[in-house]
Amino acid sequence: MAAVKNKKLKILIADDSEMNRAILVDILKDKYDAVEAEDGAEAVKILRAHSADIALVLLDINMPKLNGFDVLEVMNKNKWIEEIPVIIISAENASYFTERAYALGVTDYISRPFDVSVVQHRVINTLMLYEKQKMLMDVVEEQIYQRQKNNSMMINILSHIVEFGNAESGPHIQHIRIITEILLKGLNEVSDQYNFSHEEIALICTASALHDIGKVSIPSEILNKPGRLTDEEFAIMKTHSAIGASILDKLPLYKDEPLVKTARAICRWHHERYDGRGYPDRLLGDEIPIAAQIVALADVYDALTSERVYKAAYSHEKAIEMIKNGECGSFNPLLIKVLDVVADELYAELHSDTGETDDVEVRQITAEVLSQKQISASGRTIAQLEKERNKYMIFASLSDEVIFELSYSPYMITFLNGGGRRVGTSEIVVNPLDDEGLNKCCGKSRLQDIALLFSRTTPENPTVTYEAEILLDNTLKNCKLVAQTMWSDDEKPEIVGAVGKISPV
Amino acid sequence: MTLTEFYDTIGGDYGGTVARFMGEERVMRFALKFENDPSFDKLCEALENGNVSEAFIAAHTLKGVCQNLGFDGLYKVASEITEILRAGKTDLGDRMDDLKAKYGVVITAIKSLKENQ
Repeated sequence: MAAVKNKKLKILIADDSEMNRAILVDILKDKYDAVEAEDGAEAVKILRAHSADIALVLLDINMPKLNGFDVLEVMNKNKWIEEIPVIIISAENASYFTERAYALGVTDYISRPFDVSVVQHRVINTLMLYEKQKMLMDVVEEQIYQRQKNNSMMINILSHIVEFGNAESGPHIQHIRIITEILLKGLNEVSDQYNFSHEEIALICTASALHDIGKVSIPSEILNKPGRLTDEEFAIMKTHSAIGASILDKLPLYKDEPLVKTARAICRWHHERYDGRGYPDRLLGDEIPIAAQIVALADVYDALTSERVYKAAYSHEKAIEMIKNGECGSFNPLLIKVLDVVADELYAELHSDTGETDDVEVRQITAEVLSQKQISASGRTIAQLEKERNKYMIFASLSDEVIFELSYSPYMITFLNGGGRRVGTSEIVVNPLDDEGLNKCCGKSRLQDIALLFSRTTPENPTVTYEAEILLDNTLKNCKLVAQTMWSDDEKPEIVGAVGKISPV
Repeated sequence: MTLTEFYDTIGGDYGGTVARFMGEERVMRFALKFENDPSFDKLCEALENGNVSEAFIAAHTLKGVCQNLGFDGLYKVASEITEILRAGKTDLGDRMDDLKAKYGVVITAIKSLKENQ
């Protein structure tokens, strides 16, 4: 939440007339900090750099470089419009203008000549409305966090009760959860096959806590027997997986809930083997649901690295080695690969003191839930992105290279840290192909060649490299351009922009 | 010259503007500032260079500023010129002469307004 009491909210005023801006600043300055932009391109630049700071935009329509509608398009594309309210102040009163502005998501439309008190009131009302919306989003976030936390707490308590009679239990459930999570995320990294969402990962991790509930019906003499089990005892022990599943099957309610279905699969099949020699159903390979495969691997790893009544704990390295050598069952080769990739992380996580429910996770889930309802991630997420951006700017300033971002709609280049000056143009260049400075820097035909190279990239081959002698810092130098195009997430990806650098060879 | 007399001289809306600006003090401050507004010069320059789109933006800005300050006479001409340029035409007839004359009156009036300060 914005600290309304300590800090004045920032309002961006974009109008090409200095006089009009001065009047607006004058009527708002007592209560707000005004930031001024004298054209659309400057407004976009300010928004790009400070989108989490700007509480409201007062926007003129007819402006040079980018007009008000162009600015709104950019705000839509970057989803800023969902966080930052826009009030248009314009002398254009034709319905063509007002309709288009509302369609692009503006909150209000004030006609010139405006009334000072009307501007003040509409600004206050709009800010309050958005502040309320942000507050509600925070409330939702908090509730999802609480719900998630209560859920995992309940499940943890119940599973501990189940395992209470089981001497080996202890932190086992916690471990399984952590290992399962790391394996799932690792699987996402190593392969495109599953692409688990944050929500699915959270669901499987929660369900993993229930994998051994069937053990309630195993006599504790067998469960806690220090020595080797007889064949008969082992046969009884083996029933726990099927029993666990049937406990869940008999639930009067919630049987069809995704959590219960996942937990059932994990209960029943976490002792199946990839080679088909497991129990109870002797499922083969990927007949075993992936969640059960992963919990099975987590279970084996934790059993190996923990002390049990019948054995000492193996080291992390030894456990990994034994699993890889197939000494402890048979696993999906893909999961063995994942285990290898995440081995260090696994060790670090299991030996750290951090608590379980991390808010990062909850926040990601919240963001996902909210995005399904067409609301973007909260201000915190945006602030995070901005932090990343700042880091990037620092790196850029330390380097001798000219770093730029290209966007296609509107077609413009933004140079970082004075790069524009070094190639003889401004920091923001709208329609780069027609830009005088850039044409002087490398020549019209080269500019067109480069544009062509960009247009020939694909999401699979997004890189562009180009070498030429160009004017850099007013001197002819052999330079290399390396850039990478960026694509939308749509089913048919569209090019949205590029980032790149120009460096002397 | 008082502010009331100033608005009478230039054919502006004193009462409406003071009401919109919530007080005479703010109107006075910004009326005096009008001298420094570059949109009139920009309009003349763009027309001389035959740059219609720049001329349109300049005329539009001038129109907006005049409208805000309640300089109705000047606003009306600027508004006519804006619409001709928006249509992509450059034949402004006698509208530019009218605009220059009215602009001259406003600038002279601002000078006498200043002397009374």
